[in-house]
Amino acid sequence: MKMRFLTSFALSMVVLLSACSTNDQVVDDGRIRVVGTIGQIGNAAEIIGGEHVSVNALMGAGVDPHLYVATESDVSLLSEADIIFYNGLFLEAQMDDVLKQLGQRKTAIPIGEQIDPALLLASPIYEDEHDPHIWFDLELWSIAVAAIRDTYIEFDPANAADYEANAAAYLAEIAELHEIVHEQAARLSADQRVLVTAHDAFSYFGRAYGFEVLGLQGISTQSEASTADVRNLASIIVEREVPAVFIESSVPVRNVEALQEAVAAQGFEVVIGGELFSDAMGSPGTPEGTYLGMVRHNIETIVSALLGE
Amino acid sequence: MSQSSKYPAVEVSDLTVAYQEKPVLWDVDLEVPQGVLMAIVGPNGAGKTTMIKAILGLLTPAAGQISIFGKSYAEQRRLVGYVPQRGSVDWDFPTSVLDVVMMGKYGQLGWIRRPGSAAREAAEEALEKVGMLDYANRQISQLSGGQQQRTFLARALTQDAQIYFMDEPFQGVDATTERAIVDLLKDLRSSGKTVVAVHHDLQTVPEYFDWVMLLNVRRIASGPVPEVFTEDNLRTAYGGRVAFLSANGAAPAKEKA
Amino acid sequence: MSIGELFSLLITDHTIRTVAFGTAILGVVSGALGAFAVLRRQALLGDALSHAALPGVALAFMLTGQKTPAVLMIGAAIVGIMAILLLSAVTRVTRLKEDSVLGIILSVFFGFGLMLLTFLQRNPDARQAGLNTFLFGQAATLLTRDVLTMAAFGLPALVILAIFWKEFKLLSFDREFGSSLGFPMRGLDTALTSLLVVAVVIGLQAVGVVLMSAMLVAPGAAARQWTDRLSHMVLISALFGAIAGVAGALISSLGNGLSTGPVIVIVVSVIVVISLFFAPNRGLFWRRLRIWRNRRRYQAETVLLDFYRMAAQHADATQPHPIAALLAIRPGAQFGLDVLASRDLARPDSEGNWRLTPAGVAEAELLESGFANENGVTE
Repeated sequence: MKMRFLTSFALSMVVLLSACSTNDQVVDDGRIRVVGTIGQIGNAAEIIGGEHVSVNALMGAGVDPHLYVATESDVSLLSEADIIFYNGLFLEAQMDDVLKQLGQRKTAIPIGEQIDPALLLASPIYEDEHDPHIWFDLELWSIAVAAIRDTYIEFDPANAADYEANAAAYLAEIAELHEIVHEQAARLSADQRVLVTAHDAFSYFGRAYGFEVLGLQGISTQSEASTADVRNLASIIVEREVPAVFIESSVPVRNVEALQEAVAAQGFEVVIGGELFSDAMGSPGTPEGTYLGMVRHNIETIVSALLGE
Repeated sequence: MSQSSKYPAVEVSDLTVAYQEKPVLWDVDLEVPQGVLMAIVGPNGAGKTTMIKAILGLLTPAAGQISIFGKSYAEQRRLVGYVPQRGSVDWDFPTSVLDVVMMGKYGQLGWIRRPGSAAREAAEEALEKVGMLDYANRQISQLSGGQQQRTFLARALTQDAQIYFMDEPFQGVDATTERAIVDLLKDLRSSGKTVVAVHHDLQTVPEYFDWVMLLNVRRIASGPVPEVFTEDNLRTAYGGRVAFLSANGAAPAKEKA
Repeated sequence: MSIGELFSLLITDHTIRTVAFGTAILGVVSGALGAFAVLRRQALLGDALSHAALPGVALAFMLTGQKTPAVLMIGAAIVGIMAILLLSAVTRVTRLKEDSVLGIILSVFFGFGLMLLTFLQRNPDARQAGLNTFLFGQAATLLTRDVLTMAAFGLPALVILAIFWKEFKLLSFDREFGSSLGFPMRGLDTALTSLLVVAVVIGLQAVGVVLMSAMLVAPGAAARQWTDRLSHMVLISALFGAIAGVAGALISSLGNGLSTGPVIVIVVSVIVVISLFFAPNRGLFWRRLRIWRNRRRYQAETVLLDFYRMAAQHADATQPHPIAALLAIRPGAQFGLDVLASRDLARPDSEGNWRLTPAGVAEAELLESGFANENGVTE
């Protein structure tokens, strides 16, 4: 009786473990093997590389890059890769060692660190560090994307022309979107532009498009929100009569719900204006599953919620 | 409270208890008539405590039948009192002497009901009988060995049993307590109760008990002390390690059981 | 911020009030049930149960797709009970001792839980369910419905504890005696341990898997120091748990960057340390004090008697004697003499001589007769 219980327990463990499938296989078909960390980087790498590259992004929809720990299969993907692109600036905090070590042996480019530091925002906590969420300032992101193009050209000069062309087209789209975001933002008056989110991922967005940005958790989701944080933020929301707050796809919803309750207790009602994509893009195959789609979704959601639509 | 006077107090047949394939009790038979004070003696590891526990249903034997006054233990629980070994509990537990003694009433109270004034009175009476009434509110960690033993005895007394099983009731108690316990046992016998006690001190067997069982995994002998408590039987039970016992029962050396 | 202002926040601020309520419930339930765990020497079991809860939470999410705390907590409870069953099965079938098995269960289950979390980190829904926060808890974002769930689990547990109080007391003190009375001790054991599982599960959201065992053991251990009655111990334990919970919530609200869970555990640890040292009777501080006082008294009396026996050879026992004489009899006499001086039983004069006072003589005579009667020393 007891032995049977033990054996069936052991068997179910084995079944469960084998059900945990491995990721994408490494494809060896003559194309350049590229691995990106966050989806936005993988997206750009794919577009610019075109048919010459095969790209794997480690962190898919809904993954929090601040907390993501590389698995065995991730590490093997990375070691097989020809080029690695990552954000740097300590976004992929748990993978820092792995990426630095790989950088010594192969081409591993932290594209965020290719940007002139003068253009970056400082981290509020660590003096020498910068805020890593650069992709929401489309102009800054263009610089990072250009770094991808340059890496490709250096690695594979033969196809330089293709890379140039792909990059030029993509950059043009980004520039166009940049204008659209400005237009949308302009629909809000100056004091309507208060963006309250789950964590401080939108500072670049705020600087670029004129929003005051407030996050419940700090720059990294590693730090826990305290009751003081919730209280203070709730007071600000009530004071400024902010109509909507936003959850993020990669952060637990509960945090924002707690904020909502705190605000409600002060007699004001704030709605959850929608889900924003902060550190991760949406599911692949959906419009929000691309960088451009994600940015567009964000600004539309933000503006319509803050307008009270 | 049925009790048929034609049945022996305890009847055990073919009792076998094994622990991990090693026999602790093997094919043991025992009959305890009503109204006797019986000692169970034997060397270490002889299975004496196991015997008590098997009778009380605290462990499952590999084989054997046990009856109390002709019926199973489960049916006759109300007639049985139990004094476990002193070392079987943690005496640092936060509770008082009175509290422990009242636990003897839990069986009669059944589920959920808390001990009330009736239980309290019974407990105080029992404490009086063992001379511990003054210690009723004392924390049990402050008790001496003899006092602990008497507390357990008082608890058993509140069970109002017809037969009492005791596991080494004289172990580690002072002379005064020992005398008190013996007197108590003899009182019990005079009121017609039966007592079966695992006993460690061979020397005092003839003085305290009228029946004895010699046990060493198997039953060596059991019956009235004068018949059964002989040198031959002792030698068989203890494997020749017994210091001599003169016919008068006075022995210069005390055998450690 | 003053203490008063801090406390008033409990009433006025919704967030702090909610969090404090939740942590108070956690403290009461884990304190009450943890007291029994401490008495039954189940501290390691409590630790194993809370670590085992991690895969329970992850599996509950994986199997049901639900993020609500109640569902996750039920998952944690089920796996917790599985761990208990596994424990008794393995100890019975193998020759391993209980603590080894518990250690293995603790590590294996916890490791399995971490593995599941790593596996789930790619799952966007899992992120939103906040499964990671079960590691160290995130008390600051307790919602009203979370607190209600905790109460819904916790209150019945306390009620059951109260109803079967005498049975659980019997189980904890003398299991075999209880068995002989006819109570199903195995079932009661499982029941009480299951209540412990409930206590563990309630606390997971607030203090997390890793720290929960502290909340089970510390309040009970501290409470034991203050009382010798089981009912009082359990109540005090619950009280200590609640105090730690509320204090933790309040203190962590003071600044940014103070996690509530760890602060609660620090507060309860402080309570334990204070209890260990300063509880009346059992407190180490009082014990030391008693020992020191006794030693002082003993040394003083010894010196007094020495002095008296020497002085009584003269007609006037209060005659001065050079200190060298006293030190010759007993080299360490200085300390005793100082004590005697402080009690005015002997007095030094300016030339380094000591003399007994009349009071000292009387006291010495009392001591002497005390020894003679073999009645022990009287104060």
